[in-house]
Amino acid sequence: MNVITLHNTLPAVFAGRGETGSEIWLREVAFEKGKRYLISAESGTGKSSLCSYLYGYRNDYSGTMAFDGCDIRALSVEQWCEIRTHHIAYLAQDMRLFGELTAIENIELKNSITHHKTRGQILEMMEQLGVAEKAGSLVSKLSIGQQQRVALVRTLCQPCDFILLDEPVSHLDEHNNKVVAQIVAQEAQRQGAAIISTSVGNNVKITVDKEFRL
Amino acid sequence: MWKLLRKHISASQLVGFSIASLIGLTIVILAVQFYQDVKPVFSDEESFIKKDYLIVTRRVSTAGTLLGGKNEFSPEAVADIQSQPWCRKVGKFSSNDYGLYATVSVSGVGQSMGTMLFFESIPTEFIDVDSRDWKFDPSRPEVPVIMSRDYLTLYNFGFAASQGLPQLSEGIVSKVPIQFTLRGNGLNETINGRIVGFSNRLNTIVVPEQFMQWSNKRYGSGLERNPSRLIVEVNSPGDVKIQRYLDDHGYQVAGDKMQQGKSQYFLNLVVTIVIIVGIIISLLSFFVLMLSIYLLLQKNTRKLQDLLLLGYSPAQVSRTYIGMVVAINVAVLVVAIVVMLVARLCYLPDLKALGATGGTVTVAIVVAIVIMSLITAGNILAIRRKIAALWLHGA
Repeated sequence: MNVITLHNTLPAVFAGRGETGSEIWLREVAFEKGKRYLISAESGTGKSSLCSYLYGYRNDYSGTMAFDGCDIRALSVEQWCEIRTHHIAYLAQDMRLFGELTAIENIELKNSITHHKTRGQILEMMEQLGVAEKAGSLVSKLSIGQQQRVALVRTLCQPCDFILLDEPVSHLDEHNNKVVAQIVAQEAQRQGAAIISTSVGNNVKITVDKEFRL
Repeated sequence: MWKLLRKHISASQLVGFSIASLIGLTIVILAVQFYQDVKPVFSDEESFIKKDYLIVTRRVSTAGTLLGGKNEFSPEAVADIQSQPWCRKVGKFSSNDYGLYATVSVSGVGQSMGTMLFFESIPTEFIDVDSRDWKFDPSRPEVPVIMSRDYLTLYNFGFAASQGLPQLSEGIVSKVPIQFTLRGNGLNETINGRIVGFSNRLNTIVVPEQFMQWSNKRYGSGLERNPSRLIVEVNSPGDVKIQRYLDDHGYQVAGDKMQQGKSQYFLNLVVTIVIIVGIIISLLSFFVLMLSIYLLLQKNTRKLQDLLLLGYSPAQVSRTYIGMVVAINVAVLVVAIVVMLVARLCYLPDLKALGATGGTVTVAIVVAIVIMSLITAGNILAIRRKIAALWLHGA
């Protein structure tokens, strides 16, 4: 997958509002593989909605979104499963970890269908992010910040063309923000993937090719 | 994934389902098995005339006797019986239209016994006897005869006992040559005959139809006579519709056919009721399981959706629950079959005492497998649909 295009899209809840002042909604937008994008927004402007549309679990919008020119509404369940395991790596804002599993089990749950990273690579990433010693702890016992880092490791356990991060550093300090930025940038570089990151102010510390205001 | 999804699985609900399902399935297959085992008692294959034949006559009334009314079946009456939905085939009894005298020579004593006699015949298709004996060849006349077993009993225990005559076994009687003297049309001829079988149910003396036609032509008046007795092949001898029809037309049935038919009818009815009850319990248990699974899926909605977001396909996610349901259903199936077999062992000695040999268990097992497969297929379909419905999240 090389390009994601948005054509005149608008979340259904915003219908009828007229001009939104957004650089995404009701515009022609293209995200290209290999580039880095930041979507900055205030709360309630449809940031997470955008992510859910691009990840295929909501479709309450007007206009067209397309992967390589193909309308994503037409994608089958099988095609979405393929996209979720091979083309778009997604970190949800609410992380969606399983509290009753340990940190490493959560990560392995993803890696077991992609077989993308070795156990060693996973532990190394966790080490860099300072959560290696929490590998065997139940996720429900971890702080939000720790959970965010575990979720990030899980997100990166797959081959991808786009890394879609919904407020990836909202609960992290300056130091961890930098580490996250570095790891994500490395992974994107290695795979030639694009990074699309959203933020409400606390931006992930990466240099971007383009910033959109939502 | 199992570790993740087993949470919220309610053991008590599953046990409840398993027990209900087990009871339902066991009732159904036990009823089927019991029916298989008991059926041979009713369908006495050894009997001369099979169970679904009725021998129908008109009721002989006092008025009829005094007024000389004929107890015959007109062609219209036969056609009417033939047209009834419960009737498969009708055969007419023909009787001899000439004088008949039978003589038995008792060898060694030089004495002979004789009696006036009559013959009847019915179409061969209604007769179940060794076909090698049951034929007549005019060029080498010898008459095979089937006699009511009651006649022999009457002789042995009524006549012979009181008159100091020897009692005769069936084997001996079958070997005794009988001379039949046939008189009519100015002819007086003797033909040899032999008893080839005894019938419990056919209350008459039967000869092959070929012989009857030949002899009536040769010695009889040549007049066509209506039959006074009919043999009717029916679908179910205990059918109340048959009884009603016979009563309405003043017909009666020889022997215990209708009684036995009734018992069979009630057996069918009771087995059907039991099977329906079993199926209702099975259906209810099916819904209990469905409800339990829906509840489980509902409680695990968020987790299931998260698994789908990780890239697991609905089929992969469903597999955990399908595996669980299949395991439970297979266990229930196996236990139900075992319970059925054990229960069968308990009642079989009693049935054997009643003369049943026990039917095959294949039918009941096939029924069990079919029912369980249907239930499992329903479960799987419901799980798949429910999980597929989780694909899109509400806005």
